Amino acid sequence: MNQGYRWPLVGLHWLTLLLIVAAYVIGSLLEDMTLSPLKLKLFSWHKWVGMTVLFLLLPRLLLRWTERIDHAAGLLPWEARASAAVHGALYLLLLLAPLLGWLHSSASGFPVVWFGVLPLLDLVGKDKALAEIFKELHEGSVNLLVALVVLHAAAALYHQHVRHDGVLARMVPWLRSKS
Amino acid sequence: MKTLFVLLMCLAPPVLAQDWKLDAGKSQVQFVIKQMNVPTEGNFRRFIVHASFDPAKPEAGRFRVDVDTASADTGSAEGDDEVKRPAWFDSKAHPWAIFTAKSVRREADGRYTAFGDLDIKGQSRALAAPFTLTRQGNAWLAQGRFPLKRSTYGIGGGDWTDVVADDLEVRFNLLLLP
Repeated sequence: MNQGYRWPLVGLHWLTLLLIVAAYVIGSLLEDMTLSPLKLKLFSWHKWVGMTVLFLLLPRLLLRWTERIDHAAGLLPWEARASAAVHGALYLLLLLAPLLGWLHSSASGFPVVWFGVLPLLDLVGKDKALAEIFKELHEGSVNLLVALVVLHAAAALYHQHVRHDGVLARMVPWLRSKS
Repeated sequence: MKTLFVLLMCLAPPVLAQDWKLDAGKSQVQFVIKQMNVPTEGNFRRFIVHASFDPAKPEAGRFRVDVDTASADTGSAEGDDEVKRPAWFDSKAHPWAIFTAKSVRREADGRYTAFGDLDIKGQSRALAAPFTLTRQGNAWLAQGRFPLKRSTYGIGGGDWTDVVADDLEVRFNLLLLP
């Protein structure tokens, strides 16, 4: 039986978590900061990290689609549907949250230059009203993403500690030897 | 010598120069500067232009542009407040940035270079500003751009040095009405 996901996918999963936590923490700090050189630096880092999440999504999805794991195994039909829905929503938000942030930056008149080196496409022209809309949508998508990540983690812990079915071990290689 | 020069100027036949009025709504004074290596655009909301020239011979004209340093639009209210501070424009002490052309050289048809002094924050430095002059109905559009360094005028600095680039570009589009 296949014990779990292959290491590139496992790596991308945990790297993505690390990056979205970093982007979320920096983004939250930015909310309350007044303009300073530090704020501009943090703003840039927030964007760079967010764009990295976006860029990692495509290889991650490609790897995911080549996995041979039966995700419905051992689940009730409604659980399988809920799991598929949450995973689908997570991927969608990993696409939307950075994309809306990118649009917000672009509409605010600040193109994104990835790590200060690679200028990314300036998606829309400068438009303050549009920038406000993208800001709201970015924040909304991030809040939803965080809520789903918490749900996702809770479900994984439930599988590990209540069901004892080795689902968490698919993504945590060091748990596999014990199962 | 100076008196003689003034006297000669008075004696000279009146030039065909006329005063031109700025159409502020259709004119812009912009700047492009890199923040964290990201090119960002800003502009000044208020500027005054004194232009007196004969469109047939702009090289004999007089040009002066006064920019209100407190009117910078940096894209955010916080940024607008920041650049008025003493570390930047010091708008309280130096409300105006002034370019006064001392001479204009014709480069080609419709293309000129204005040589003069750019005075910002109490520092006066020579500046050569290339520009084009194109007819728009009965008005004339003066367009040009030139590079500047913040450090030349002591604008910004301190902690901002590694965040905001020293080099910037000034762009102007001035629509002059008869």
